[in-house]
Amino acid sequence: MRNGKLLVIPTVAWLSIFFVIPLLIVVAVSFASRTAYGQIFFQLTISNYIRFLEPLYLSIFAGTLFTAILTTVLTILMGYPLAYYIAQLPKKWQQPALVLAMIPFWINFLIRSYAWVIILRSQGVLNTLLLRIGVIDQPLQLLYNDTAVMLGMVYALLPFMVLPIYVSLEQLDYRLLEAASDLGAKPFTAFRKITLPLTIPGIAAGTILVFISSLGMFVVPDVMGGAKSALIGNLIQNQFLSARDWPFGSALSIVLAVLSLVLIMLYYKALSLQEGGERNVKDLA
Amino acid sequence: MSKKLLTLLLILAVFVIAGCGGEKKEEKKPAAPPEPQVLNLFSWADNFDPKVIEKFEQEYKCKVNYDVFGNNEELLAKIQAGGAQYDVIQPSDYMVATMLKLNLLEELNMANIPNSKNIVSTLKAPVYDPTGKYSIVYTWGVTGIVYNKKFVKEEPASWNDLWNDEYKGRIILLNDNREVIGMALKKDGFSNNSTNPEEVAKAVADLKKLVPNVLAFDTDTIKQKFIAEEAWIGMMWSGDASFTYNDNKNIGFTVPKEGTVIWADTFAIPKGAKHKELAEKFINFIYEPKISAQNYEYIGYNDPNEKAMQYHSKEFKNDPMLKIGYENIDKGEWLTDIGEALTMYDRYWTELKTGK
Repeated sequence: MRNGKLLVIPTVAWLSIFFVIPLLIVVAVSFASRTAYGQIFFQLTISNYIRFLEPLYLSIFAGTLFTAILTTVLTILMGYPLAYYIAQLPKKWQQPALVLAMIPFWINFLIRSYAWVIILRSQGVLNTLLLRIGVIDQPLQLLYNDTAVMLGMVYALLPFMVLPIYVSLEQLDYRLLEAASDLGAKPFTAFRKITLPLTIPGIAAGTILVFISSLGMFVVPDVMGGAKSALIGNLIQNQFLSARDWPFGSALSIVLAVLSLVLIMLYYKALSLQEGGERNVKDLA
Repeated sequence: MSKKLLTLLLILAVFVIAGCGGEKKEEKKPAAPPEPQVLNLFSWADNFDPKVIEKFEQEYKCKVNYDVFGNNEELLAKIQAGGAQYDVIQPSDYMVATMLKLNLLEELNMANIPNSKNIVSTLKAPVYDPTGKYSIVYTWGVTGIVYNKKFVKEEPASWNDLWNDEYKGRIILLNDNREVIGMALKKDGFSNNSTNPEEVAKAVADLKKLVPNVLAFDTDTIKQKFIAEEAWIGMMWSGDASFTYNDNKNIGFTVPKEGTVIWADTFAIPKGAKHKELAEKFINFIYEPKISAQNYEYIGYNDPNEKAMQYHSKEFKNDPMLKIGYENIDKGEWLTDIGEALTMYDRYWTELKTGK
């Protein structure tokens, strides 16, 4: 056992140097203030946190939360059927199908965002095609709006949802479904009562991955949204660059991190309550 | 099976996280110089003709490490973290002022840079470096109105022309708070460095009327938006306008009558640079008239070197976009560090972005 503990030392050392210490620095800076020339001035103040409570910044935060939740819901709605389909494929096709779903991710995300710009812009691939076949007579404005941002976010984060759901579907004991069918359950009832509850852990893992990633996203709104809608990620980026206000940027980052943590804890709590409930039902049966 | 999946997921995570990191490409760390003959240059990407750098390496028997930054704030952060690892840096005008206030720059020894005399007099000792002892202008330009002659029939004369409803959804503003708020200040007849809350509030109120008509805020890919004719009219830097014009001859560029921003990227030497003399030789080398001509033809920016004009090609001298820069040099006002007021600008900028 002692040896096992020793093996953990490198990881712990790594995390404390490259995760804990930087995080503590961010916390410290968030209580500092900005000098006239953008220097960090250390004198304990909570003014950065108070500034966050202004309606302007709260509304950006609310907008970001809304975008993140919508992205998560959309990736579940699109990712679940895809994962389900892949899990139903013959075994030898499942791995290739998963790889296919991920190949785009071998290319840098920034480049793929610009690829979307080329597809969607007014003289882009899609508009040219639609004009040629006569569906439209004016190019559609597909880019630089909230829909484009949502498209980019869902596109970027979909695989994070598909993979965990696939894993939980893959581990599903299909004999349960056969039993359900034998007992007269219609396919949809069997799905609702058996498949869905048993794949909740996959959905939960996917949700965490997608939700957290979309909270911090700033590339998509810049490239596909025309930098018109500010998400909290863009606001934080601005504080560190053009505004040179690292303390306020740090405070925003801390608020974002703490709130994500709280939301995730609530989410897990809700899930485990639900699972616990199901288990009780099973025990009774 | 699930081990494989885990691996795949990890690979995926790495790619996406790398992507989310955005613009930062890997940079070559300058190797710790094993001998004195290494010049560590920290600059913007593609800011020199590589052949010119090669020539310098041969003539001075040294090695140039060319490291790049994406914006002035990144440069500042690196220099504050220990700038002595670089010998030559290229801050923009306002960043020179900030660095001077923070005491981060070495005084240049002009005896080693005799070619600095070749700079046009209007660009010597500008406001951001009033003594002219700490920086030398390398590239410069002005911000103006870029427009596509197919859609904008009359040459715009005033910044007010951006507020024309005919261009709804076809306008691009730079993604830069000082540039955009500064533009609106100029339009209203104020200084683009105004720290007067009433003047700035007026400018922002005007901008709020413009923003619903804006297609996008963009500085990095603005050229493509005009080349592909997605955008009809907007703000652009003269160097970018020249680039855009070469790919789409419908593009026009003009400097509005109310005045505009003039900007420059400079040469400077950070405090404690290890190879200061070689750095000065490098700067001097770049302003050799013939070298300078070759270099600026490559990078496509206005050459501030008077003595180099005779070596420039006809095409370069007649480039309409570069000419506009020269002709309007007097209409430009440098952006200076506005200190505390930057927080006010940033707040307004956030308001503009969120439509509040």
